[in-house]
Amino acid sequence: MSELTKEEPPAAPAAPPPTSVTPSTYLKSILGRPILVRLHTGVTYRGILACLDGYMNIAMEQTEEYGVGGELESRYGDVFLRGNNVAFISGDTKAK
Amino acid sequence: MSTGRLLPLELVDKCIGSSIWVLMKDTNTELTGTLKGFDDFVNMVLEDVTEIRITDGERKEVKLDSVLLNGNNVAILVPGGAPEE
Repeated sequence: MSELTKEEPPAAPAAPPPTSVTPSTYLKSILGRPILVRLHTGVTYRGILACLDGYMNIAMEQTEEYGVGGELESRYGDVFLRGNNVAFISGDTKAK
Repeated sequence: MSTGRLLPLELVDKCIGSSIWVLMKDTNTELTGTLKGFDDFVNMVLEDVTEIRITDGERKEVKLDSVLLNGNNVAILVPGGAPEE
């Protein structure tokens, strides 16, 4: 098998990682999807990402608020989160 | 060898695709995961993430598939991921 294949192409010269996902491409990929947002305080918001900007200001729909211990605190229809509070945004695969 | 110096962000760029350990500023939070990319603010996209929060001596781990981490509170990046316990 290996003899039949043409010689290997020369190793790509220090090719940049082909699968680099920058923050902006990641944000585009999770628009309209269920997300989990963790604030620096430890409070978590789960909902549908409606839109956001470069400051990580976030507008969410069908939002659930979870306390630091993970218990459901409240539900909101629409939520605006100011970006300076955001620790991270995660595509929420476990969301229904 | 004329370019013996490596810019800080070049070091981060070399970590893309491999494991990285992120220590946050002034919070008892760490994340480990595979670095997928970052921007000029060192906001980072991580995959297969474990978030470790230590509150009152209690260690809590949360697993997440993918995360966009705000670079604002990042203190230290350690290439290679967290050390084994």
